[in-house]
Amino acid sequence: MKPILRLDMVSKRFGGVITADKVSFSVKPGEIHGLIGPNGAGKSTIMNLISGIYLLDGGNVYLNEEDITNIPSYLRARKGIGRTFQTPRFLQRSNIRDNLLLGADLANQFGFLKSYFGKKVSNFENEVAGFMNLLDFTFEWDADITALTYGQLKQLEIIRSLLSHPKVILIDEPAAGLNNKEIDNIMELINVVAKKHGIGVLLIEHSMDMIMNICEQIEVLNFGKLIASGTPVEVSSNEAVIEAYLGRDLDA
Amino acid sequence: MRINKLNIKISNIVILIAAVSFVLVAPRITAGYFMMVVNMGLIFAIAAFGVCVMLGIGGQLSFATVSFMGFGAYFVANLTSGRMGIIMGSIPVIILMIIATTVVAFSIGLVLFKLKSAYFTFATIGLVQVSWSFYLSYVPLFGGPDGISRIATFDIFGFRAEDFHQWFYILVVFVLIVVFLVERIKCTQLGRSLAAIRDNEIAAQTLGINIYMTKVIAFTIAGVLAAFAGALYAMHSQFVSADMFTFERTTTYIIMAMLGGVNNTKGVLVGSMLVTLLPEWLRGMQQYLQLIFGVSVILLMVFMPMGLAGLVTSVGKRLKRKLHVNKKLATSTGMEAKR
Repeated sequence: MKPILRLDMVSKRFGGVITADKVSFSVKPGEIHGLIGPNGAGKSTIMNLISGIYLLDGGNVYLNEEDITNIPSYLRARKGIGRTFQTPRFLQRSNIRDNLLLGADLANQFGFLKSYFGKKVSNFENEVAGFMNLLDFTFEWDADITALTYGQLKQLEIIRSLLSHPKVILIDEPAAGLNNKEIDNIMELINVVAKKHGIGVLLIEHSMDMIMNICEQIEVLNFGKLIASGTPVEVSSNEAVIEAYLGRDLDA
Repeated sequence: MRINKLNIKISNIVILIAAVSFVLVAPRITAGYFMMVVNMGLIFAIAAFGVCVMLGIGGQLSFATVSFMGFGAYFVANLTSGRMGIIMGSIPVIILMIIATTVVAFSIGLVLFKLKSAYFTFATIGLVQVSWSFYLSYVPLFGGPDGISRIATFDIFGFRAEDFHQWFYILVVFVLIVVFLVERIKCTQLGRSLAAIRDNEIAAQTLGINIYMTKVIAFTIAGVLAAFAGALYAMHSQFVSADMFTFERTTTYIIMAMLGGVNNTKGVLVGSMLVTLLPEWLRGMQQYLQLIFGVSVILLMVFMPMGLAGLVTSVGKRLKRKLHVNKKLATSTGMEAKR
């Protein structure tokens, strides 16, 4: 199958620190692809390079074999790169409906004038309800976004991104700060996203349970370099990975 | 839930009654001069709605309000006073003015929004100084320090607004139209895009929002609203001069918006009326006016950053919570009694 997202020799440096060093990998449609590594390994940088928040110093990013290296982030989003953030980014002064509508707006893209005179976005609420069935909480549409807990926001951010009908979604540490029940729900949601909707998922996560459970392919990053890639089983027995996570044994 | 809905309805009804009684009663109990001041408040409110769009919805601080007010005012002044050899009707001249302002504001926006946040704001201060110098000194277009007089009053389908009372009703209609348009922006893609830029630019980018163009569009809308207010001012006063378009004036519109609640059109309307009327009511304390004004602005920012509207909603929420708690207590004690 053709990859939906492909990174080719992607490089980025901040001053003297190299945060991405010739990183290449690809994500297929419907595949859950893990990106792991110790803190500061450059995982979030890779996501920012893909979604266009940082510009690349070298290499190329392809979406559906189209080179998107040099186009601005909002156009990348319109072409189908969705993402969530380590700490959820919502509009603090808007209600839940408007916050979620932002995702639907991206899917519709009928321009300001049409949305000014046009009718409300159709199917929007049904679509949200469909995703909410997989989760364990409910909300009131007109409640302030601040009424939700951190864990709920993290889950809702994934839904906001899904409403934009992305081709590939970058999910940054969905499990951090969530309880076990919520983590189970998020895993199920990610599974549905990939398998039922055929969206490519690039997942950063520190919870090894989650990564080993749902990822088909894993890339391991350390100091901006890919040190290993493969299936969960391959990666977890890789010496370089164990060293990066646990440190080198001096006697060995 | 039900209490919730009822409360919203009650507050809307209160606002509606207040507004209707204001419209009905104000012209009856006010004499000519005071009516004129009320009219000014309504005109300034239209410009302040522009601030509402830029600062309230989009989070961008622009001082350019008076530049565009001046543009609209002088545009109308030149084409309806006969000094250019033509006297146009109000409606065609307003339409022409809106088209011209859209082009000008859009072009200026394209240039100024190459700058980010505070740098953009500083550039708008520069714009105000430049436009003011032109308005004050360039005689062929702006009449120099003497300004332009003998501007035709507002007319539509043969009806001419002859006195301040007739003007009042015309302005009320215009204000309602603008309030409706601004409120509508909030629940469209443009409004949400602006809110996203205000609250979180990075999230906005990754949600496919063209930050630059969205800001330029908001700047254009604010510019057109300001120019419309300027045009109405020129027709209402039948005279314009550059001292309406100084930097000091431009800050007033921001204060009007902040006082009322920068994101809330009803609040901005109240804020504009207050800022326009208070100096009249406090005429006896003329020499302390600036002091009172300055101190109140500081207190406003400390105690109610979201203005009067913010105060009303937070008090409302507190009341609602109290009602809710009381109700819960009542039901829980009822349960116990049953047991």
